[in-house]
Amino acid sequence: MISFGPTEEQEMVRDAMRDFAEQAVRPIARECDEASEIPADFLQSVWDLGLTSTQIPESYGGGGEERSSVTNAMILEELAFGDATLAAAATSPSGFANAIVDQGSEDQKKTLLPLFCTEKFHAASLAIVEPGAIFDASRPRTVAEPKDDSFVLSGAKTLVPLGDRASHFLVTARNGDALDAFVVARDAEGLTISEPELNLGLKGLITVGLELERVEIPKTARLGGDAGADVRRILDGSRVALSALMLGVSRAVLDYCVPYAKDRVAFDEPISKKQAIAFRLSDMHIEQEAMRLMVWKAASHLEKGLDVSRVAHLTRGYCAEKSLWVTDNGIQTLGGHGFIREHPVEMWFRNARTLGVLEGLIAV
Amino acid sequence: MKVMVCLKQVPHQDAKLDINSDGTWIQEDNIKFEINSYDTYALEEALRIKDADADTEVVVVSIGPDRVTQALRTALGMGADRAVHVNDAEAFGSDALCVAKVLAAVAKAESPDLIFTGLMTDDGNSSAVPPMLAELIDVPSATGVLHTEAANGSLKVERELEGGAIEVVELPKPCLASIQTGANQVRYASLKGIMQAKKKPIDVKTAADLGVSDVASKATIDKVYSPPKNATADILSGSTDEIVSGLMGKIKELGVL
Repeated sequence: MISFGPTEEQEMVRDAMRDFAEQAVRPIARECDEASEIPADFLQSVWDLGLTSTQIPESYGGGGEERSSVTNAMILEELAFGDATLAAAATSPSGFANAIVDQGSEDQKKTLLPLFCTEKFHAASLAIVEPGAIFDASRPRTVAEPKDDSFVLSGAKTLVPLGDRASHFLVTARNGDALDAFVVARDAEGLTISEPELNLGLKGLITVGLELERVEIPKTARLGGDAGADVRRILDGSRVALSALMLGVSRAVLDYCVPYAKDRVAFDEPISKKQAIAFRLSDMHIEQEAMRLMVWKAASHLEKGLDVSRVAHLTRGYCAEKSLWVTDNGIQTLGGHGFIREHPVEMWFRNARTLGVLEGLIAV
Repeated sequence: MKVMVCLKQVPHQDAKLDINSDGTWIQEDNIKFEINSYDTYALEEALRIKDADADTEVVVVSIGPDRVTQALRTALGMGADRAVHVNDAEAFGSDALCVAKVLAAVAKAESPDLIFTGLMTDDGNSSAVPPMLAELIDVPSATGVLHTEAANGSLKVERELEGGAIEVVELPKPCLASIQTGANQVRYASLKGIMQAKKKPIDVKTAADLGVSDVASKATIDKVYSPPKNATADILSGSTDEIVSGLMGKIKELGVL
């Protein structure tokens, strides 16, 4: 049988993250959006929760606790319920660190993982998305040419989270016919980091573009060393994480719209009494539940080590489409209040739209 | 140093509460519970002592049914070292004195240097247990505490008085302080803390294990009900002077002054 009941530990994690999201994330979300930045003390406060370090093995300085993709999906949903921008920023280092834990060479683990096990927030980022039309994460245009004891990287990346402060980037690139990933330090010769990009949503996240102009890095910088790595697995994990963020945004919208509709009176009765509104809210709820089931299934496949590429792709596609639909209908439910900045739904709409393209087009 | 923190698990502040079928309490099935908010400040105060002195042991104690385990695990996830769970049908939901008797038995067994409790509970609101507990184990106590400072042989506390005044009291250890909300910024349980919590011990005991008998409540609740809604409110309108004048008239009319 399949159980959808969280474990006691998962319930505790979820409750703790929910409290954190309500008390420490949501109250600063609008300010971050307006200012297009995230306060450093927020990143430090979320760092103190140990989201990244706890799941790094003790031998590299981490907490040594077992990693659960399902629990992590719950954490992402809760944080994104508070605010997706802050959730994406807070968990961005985990994407990099987990890739090193899972697939890094011993040297890479020894060198890089301790960076995430100190008391101070440390940023490092995945660099997957590329500018230009019809981007496919599994077929990047960025190339890695072997040269003696090094690789030479050429290409461009965009939407790299926290690129303004990341110490390292994990850059995906084509190595002949293979898909590989390479650890590139921010001071690598030939690497140009752009000014923060001006985006529709997730404005506080600070994303940058990377220009890689014949960046020469040692062969040991290839993820996994000589053995290489299964980069598709990293993409799968990233897609499940994005889906969980989109689920969290959708729940935030529904949670905001239901009491609004019960409170907002038009034509002598709350608008929740109007079937057009009630049916819409009901459909939004159904979609939110469907998203959660897909996210949990994909996360469960990841956790069990099953082939998850198809499920992750379907999940991301569904969540991208439906989170946009839910946030759009949130605006519709609020009417004029939906697109003014006194209410958060317009911000969530922009965030959902941006999350939907963070790894390129769904159609690819 | 050993600090004992008394916790109560109460219905979550967002829980929708319905009265049970015989009208004597709320329906507890299918509602969410959490640690009494006052007690979270007491726990935080104890954890701050532990932060400053790693040799400090923080022991959390709670009375209640199986579900209380989750509250204790949360406290362990926040940083407490171990827990005592008094799982005893008679003691759970008993009156303040019997609850204090059970906690006193735990305190005698643990011999803590400090006992921290919340000022009151979100459900019962009696504030009676902390001073009763102190009296039963014959230690000095202070209520409504906003700040604590542990020294070698004593605990200096700042108590909240009426009108915003603060009273500073120094209590020789062992002693008890009931902590007011807002005394500190309560920490969140970290992911690492939660995952480590499952490895920390919870000692489950009955009242008999603690050598306490006759702990069933001596007080009975006749009726629990929501205040009836009525439409007798008068909304005064007009200028400030008119509203004040109207209010004075109403007060005189009702003869309450």
